[in-house]
Amino acid sequence: MHPLIISDVTLTFGGLKALSGVAMRFEPGTITSIIGPNGAGKTSLLNCISGFYHPDQGDIHYGDQRLTDAAPHQVAKMGIARAFQNLELFRGMTVLDNLLLARHSKLKYNLLQAVVFIGKAARVEAENRRTVEEVIDFMELEPYRKNTVGTLSYGIQKRVEVARALTMEPQVLLLDEPMAGMNIEEKEDMVRFVMDIQKERNATIILVEHDLGVVMDISDRIHVLDFGEMIGSGTPAEVARNPKVIEAYIGKE
Amino acid sequence: MSANRWLATGNFFTSYREEQRIFFTHLDRLVFVAVLVLLFAWPLFFELSNKYMLVVNHTLIAVVAVMGLNIVTGYAGLISIGHAAFVGVGAYTVAGLATTLGDSHKLITHAWPLMIVLSGGMGALFGAFVGLPALRLKHLYLAIATLSFQMIFEWVIHFMGFFNQGQTIYIGRVHWLTGEVGRSSHYVFWYYASLVVVVITGFGIRNLMRTRFGRCLIAVRDNDRAADAMGMHPGLTKVYAFALAGFMAGLAGALHAYLYRGVGIESFTLHHSITYLAMAIVGGLGTLHGAFWGPAAIEFLDIQVEHLSAWAAQIFPAQGNLATALRPFSFGLVIVLFLMFEPRGIANWWRIARSYVKLWPFRY
Ligand SMILES: Nc1ncnc2c1ncn2[C@@H]1O[C@H](COP(=O)(O)OP(=O)(O)OP(=O)(O)O)[C@@H](O)[C@H]1O
Ligand SMILES: [Mg+2]
Repeated sequence: MHPLIISDVTLTFGGLKALSGVAMRFEPGTITSIIGPNGAGKTSLLNCISGFYHPDQGDIHYGDQRLTDAAPHQVAKMGIARAFQNLELFRGMTVLDNLLLARHSKLKYNLLQAVVFIGKAARVEAENRRTVEEVIDFMELEPYRKNTVGTLSYGIQKRVEVARALTMEPQVLLLDEPMAGMNIEEKEDMVRFVMDIQKERNATIILVEHDLGVVMDISDRIHVLDFGEMIGSGTPAEVARNPKVIEAYIGKE
Repeated sequence: MSANRWLATGNFFTSYREEQRIFFTHLDRLVFVAVLVLLFAWPLFFELSNKYMLVVNHTLIAVVAVMGLNIVTGYAGLISIGHAAFVGVGAYTVAGLATTLGDSHKLITHAWPLMIVLSGGMGALFGAFVGLPALRLKHLYLAIATLSFQMIFEWVIHFMGFFNQGQTIYIGRVHWLTGEVGRSSHYVFWYYASLVVVVITGFGIRNLMRTRFGRCLIAVRDNDRAADAMGMHPGLTKVYAFALAGFMAGLAGALHAYLYRGVGIESFTLHHSITYLAMAIVGGLGTLHGAFWGPAAIEFLDIQVEHLSAWAAQIFPAQGNLATALRPFSFGLVIVLFLMFEPRGIANWWRIARSYVKLWPFRY
């Protein structure tokens, strides 16, 4: 396991600087949160890591692999998975099929073996199914296994989104506001899942979240963005004392 | 699984292997095997006139082609307006060899199964090539690329002396274990050959769809951003979809060449591409058996229209050839009706009928 390192990343849209000179480090096996007001550039940063955007300047490294110019599918294959803020599920498919799809690059059989099916492909697919069922158990999605995703409640869809990323057995998991729009109970569940993922699956978690209570509770480290700039980082206690952060959140007196 | 495998009701799977089955109940399997036996056995008991045998064979070949179109347009959601050209690539692979080697060269008359597979390979090659713009383009732009291929294909065949400027290139009679396949058994022979191709590729595609090579097609159709994040290359997946479609089209093309014992451009025009699309839509896009219903329905319609116009011509003798007018009309009407009232095609009727049987003896 390696640290994920972002060095001096700048991203612009036309004249707008979504990110400027952002530098962060994510240690293996920890939960690191990124917070900041709306439009601060949190999602843009995750997009840069996961290959949907490419920074204009700066670099992103995972171990000795360079992510800066990698495409999303290449980043995914390096063991970095992502749950989207605005659900990007396969809405017409069942929960099960959504998760099966996430294992695409883990399945080792070739086209010919797939066409014949009997033998290797059948064996790998049965194994695959077992892994997916483990995740379904873990994320407590059993009742919805065969439901079409589009028909499920928002809270459950969010959970499927996280489950799908988890199915990829990632070393690094990017979660973009996994608790947004949830009721208290669902939020509690999600907090528990995130903590369990870190402990039991030993993944590095990068969490974007607006709920400061949750963030302060579960993060090992916190990075704060405002208008695309880093205005603070450190342990939850340090960040809570940082005058710049307080100013950004509460405003100037 | 519970003891009674005849009914779906009350059956629960106890292993993931069981869920992989193609046929969940004995009834499903029984119906399928019965249909298959019937398809193989009827020519032994019943002799169809050459005219109708040709229609049947033609339909089977269309099934092969539409299974391919269904992969790219149904599963992967990419409209292809040049499918007939890919069928043409298959047919002209055989024709091209017939021109170079002579139309009764052993390779063509004896190694015909090899020729069919080779034509499939050529179709796949051209499919992948035409699909290359998918690396950059989306939706309608991609459809235009396939249309361009259709145009270029027709133009090239018309232009090149090697392809006899689109005039018929003859293909020799093939040999089988019993010697040369003569005039009297020609249609029955190619009926069986086409049927075997349909069954093998049908199972192949059915298998493919329960593996990662099938799921990725549907993934890029439904959400190619998410597919990308799941580790699939959206562009290459689409190229691969075109290659698969091209492969099936190539097989169909070779079968067509052998069935008609000749290849001419008039069988691979834009009109045929639209017909394949209509078959795929009427049958039901994105379902395997839709590829069987569609060609059957459209061919059936065609025969009815022919009857109708023959009958009408007796009553209004002055009207000239009504069939030429009625054909496109009825054809267009059926497509519009299906798009309006049953966009999921005939396959959906089948699905409804099945879900009724599945719940038996309970009614909802
Ligand atoms: N594709 C894009 N094109 C143009 N501008 C963009 C694009 N993506 C993001 N932006 C802009 O970049 C800025 C940062 O957006 P981003 O989505 O990263 O914010 P965020 O911190 O995730 O906000 P929120 O908390 O609301 O999710 C915003 O001003 C946004 O309008
Ligand atoms: Mg955001």
